[in-house]
Amino acid sequence: MIQKGMWWKLSGIIIFLYVLWGGLTIPLRPGITSITPSSAKTGDTVTLKATGYNTHFASVKKGRAWLKLDSIHATKSLDWQSTDDNHVSLRFVLPQTLPNASEVFPLHLIIDNETDGAFVHPNAIFISSATDTLSFDNTSWSGHDLGQFSEHTGIQFPYRSILNETIRNTFFHVALWFAMFLLLIFGVYYSIQYLRTADYDFDRKASAYTNIAVLYGIFGILTGSVWAKFTWNTFWTNDVKLNMTAIALLIYLAYIILRGMNYDQDKRARLAAIYNIFAFIALIPLVFVIPRMTDSLHPGNGGNPALGGEDLDHTLRMFFYPSIIALFLIGKWIAELTIRFERVKDYFYLKNT
Amino acid sequence: MNSKSIRHYLLLNITWIMLCILPLTSQAQGLDFLRSTGKIYTVVVVIAIIFIGLAIYLIRLDNKLTKLENHIKNEQ
Repeated sequence: MIQKGMWWKLSGIIIFLYVLWGGLTIPLRPGITSITPSSAKTGDTVTLKATGYNTHFASVKKGRAWLKLDSIHATKSLDWQSTDDNHVSLRFVLPQTLPNASEVFPLHLIIDNETDGAFVHPNAIFISSATDTLSFDNTSWSGHDLGQFSEHTGIQFPYRSILNETIRNTFFHVALWFAMFLLLIFGVYYSIQYLRTADYDFDRKASAYTNIAVLYGIFGILTGSVWAKFTWNTFWTNDVKLNMTAIALLIYLAYIILRGMNYDQDKRARLAAIYNIFAFIALIPLVFVIPRMTDSLHPGNGGNPALGGEDLDHTLRMFFYPSIIALFLIGKWIAELTIRFERVKDYFYLKNT
Repeated sequence: MNSKSIRHYLLLNITWIMLCILPLTSQAQGLDFLRSTGKIYTVVVVIAIIFIGLAIYLIRLDNKLTKLENHIKNEQ
């Protein structure tokens, strides 16, 4: 049943199943979704009510929390009271003085317990001075040794506020674009081969690979727009990357139309091959250069880090890179089917004319 | 157009329409549903779009193959 050239098609499917299984079942790291109150004054006794996600506050025996400004300045919570797994009340007595000369400063909340490990919620609360005169004295803020944090064992994906579970889309939406780019490289390679050899089979290959890549591009736009709706709260923004990829896709749609023209076969193939090379050259600045020069919501553009930090840590990489390979192999498979179909079709019509 | 190709055409259109209204329906009534449990259903929609899209491409290829097969059958 399994033929000789089947191994890479099957591995594409198996790798994709691995990505689906891991990408959908591995839990997120615990995080904090909301905190009240959002501001306080120095000298106050505040009770922070934190709502957690994927946390296990109820079963915690030794829960600790800090409000932290930087590596030296922090204040420890006096009390830990959890009503259930996702809600905890933390009581802090804020020092009378500010740790530095700024009027308002944000504090990060660090929560540490033995089941969830340690995690941080940045800018949890904003502290301002209770009096008009700015008195600052950092001794009351320092000297709180954070000590040893508990560590969580096992694989978990990073928790990012706003993104939440949609960080899993990295394996589908982002990997789709990477796979599209690989398929386009194949397409342009076959176009060059066609121009070198004038073998019509290379034109078929170039066309099939470019077609499936454009399809992936359309999926990329659709999936990205659904993802944007639930994180950026709009289907389409004026983000440069979105508009530039839309332009690139239109350029490639023109290729498909050009290739589909009912025209002299050799001339059409040559034109399409040349156009494909130009389209590929246009794609690189449109997708890789211009979005990096201005502000963009996408990671890796406008000064945002890409493929690093919490956006793509080692747990995400375990599924992100296999996903690119799997989507590429599935695309290659479909392209191959199209090529074989075109070959048979051309053979049949050639025989009958 | 014979009845078979009409059927294929309809099927194709229905899938396309479903694909197009999927995000719209989510906006109309299912917004909270898609935002629940850490927005996990957004990931489900994304996977569904990829799956439906690939299915549409394969259905079209299938149709083209059927056409070619019929041509070859008529020749013989």
